[in-house]
Amino acid sequence: MSNTAPLVKMRNLHKSYGPHVQVLKGLDIEMKPGERVVVIGPSGGGKSTLLRVMMGLEKIDSGSVTFAGKPYISSESADTKTVIDTDVRRSIGMVFQHYTLFPHLSVLQNLILAPCKVRGEKKASAMQRGQALLERFGLGAKADAYPAQLSGGQKQRVAIARALMLDPKLMLFDEVTSALDPELVGEVEQVILQLANQNMPMMIVTHDMWFAKNIASRVIFCAGGVVVEDGPPEQVLGSPKEERTRDFIDRVFHIKH
Amino acid sequence: MALDFSIILRFQDALVLGLWMTIKLTLICIVLGCTLGFVVGLARTSRNVLVRAVSSIYVEFFRGTPVLIQLFWIFFCLPLILGVELSNLASGVIALTLYMGAITSETFRASLKSVGPEQRDACVALGLPNRVQITNVILPQAVLRAIPTLLSNCVSLFKESALVSAVGMADLMFVGQNISNNTARPVEVLTVVALIYFAIAFPLTRAVTLVEGRILKKLAI
Ligand SMILES: Nc1ncnc2c1ncn2[C@@H]1O[C@H](COP(=O)(O)OP(=O)(O)OP(=O)(O)O)[C@@H](O)[C@H]1O
Ligand SMILES: [Mg+2]
Repeated sequence: MSNTAPLVKMRNLHKSYGPHVQVLKGLDIEMKPGERVVVIGPSGGGKSTLLRVMMGLEKIDSGSVTFAGKPYISSESADTKTVIDTDVRRSIGMVFQHYTLFPHLSVLQNLILAPCKVRGEKKASAMQRGQALLERFGLGAKADAYPAQLSGGQKQRVAIARALMLDPKLMLFDEVTSALDPELVGEVEQVILQLANQNMPMMIVTHDMWFAKNIASRVIFCAGGVVVEDGPPEQVLGSPKEERTRDFIDRVFHIKH
Repeated sequence: MALDFSIILRFQDALVLGLWMTIKLTLICIVLGCTLGFVVGLARTSRNVLVRAVSSIYVEFFRGTPVLIQLFWIFFCLPLILGVELSNLASGVIALTLYMGAITSETFRASLKSVGPEQRDACVALGLPNRVQITNVILPQAVLRAIPTLLSNCVSLFKESALVSAVGMADLMFVGQNISNNTARPVEVLTVVALIYFAIAFPLTRAVTLVEGRILKKLAI
């Protein structure tokens, strides 16, 4: 039974920006350990918001999230405070669409800042782990470079390495290749596929059909702030049950049935 | 009457002394003013309403009034209020420090704001505590970004410091005016004084452009 207990359990999430923009309207998602959930949906449908809520970057109006059985995020109503367990938050890592490396720090310094400051790891040991991780991602020679000296693809790979330095139990990727030149998309997706092979649980927002098919163990179609369709990739991407999903996939991925 | 610059040579020593006073005053006020400006820049983003209000009033007052009047005020009113005699240098330092603090606080405030919200997001995603976010991520970037404007602020202060001659401080400008009065050769003397200011300010303004390019290149992301 224990291997089917959910890793993430979102219950009835509501989130709005101000009084008029309701983004999440009662979202329920469960994620099992080892699952790689790809979230697709129309622009403005709340995919980034969903990931930002999971990362503890946004308050919610109401609802709850548990992580590995522990309460993580909860709020009674729009007027109550959103309670976020920062210990649980530390076991989640995120990579953003926009480059978020610290530009005043070298690549290796970017990697070791959090382990040293958050976990009190010794600098030497963090540097060793960081260097090893960079080698693995083909960035061994870039340890002392500054972010401005890197290509977009290299920056995103460093950002992934930086998040992995904290041994996350769940990784969130929000359109991490959509700001990249097309020829750089592959190298970043390869790194994420590498993580998938090691059974890293992840939640991925992407518009890249090839990538979605190859990475997903499950696909969720989100629109209008709710889950419209949820199932294995072959079903949701290949022969969606819901009309809205079909329309979206025809439009965005140009798939002919 | 033909121009005769050779007359200046006789006053070489006095000019050097005046220049030294100008440089000393400027350097002291740069250090004190930037420190004050940094603290006030932070205070203006404080969550405390009172701290924000007091720092705003200070900055707006010193930015919005002529430096010359500020100088007179500090030189002649401050001793009355404090009940102690202030030396010329002390008064000059206080006045120009307050002025420099107000100007640079705006520089620091703007550079703090220029560190984008996505840097904060990254900090939270890495679980960095607030203190680490500020000291290791936000402040170093803000200070780096502030450097070019701070250098410009310093060059302005160097030139503005000539105003202290109006309250009798023996700086370069004051010495120049004295010589010009004694020799009745204002054109030659003031031209030379201007050239001395220029000889120091010009390389600094060039440096600003250079440094700015380098910093922007480094922080471009
Ligand atoms: N900070 C904010 N303040 C106000 N409104 C916001 C904010 N962030 C997002 N929104 C709004 O919330 C809605 C959902 O945004 P979100 O970024 O989550 O969508 P998305 O599904 O990620 O879209 P995309 O595919 O374009 O990235 C949009 O209408 C957006 O304008
Ligand atoms: Mg988005």
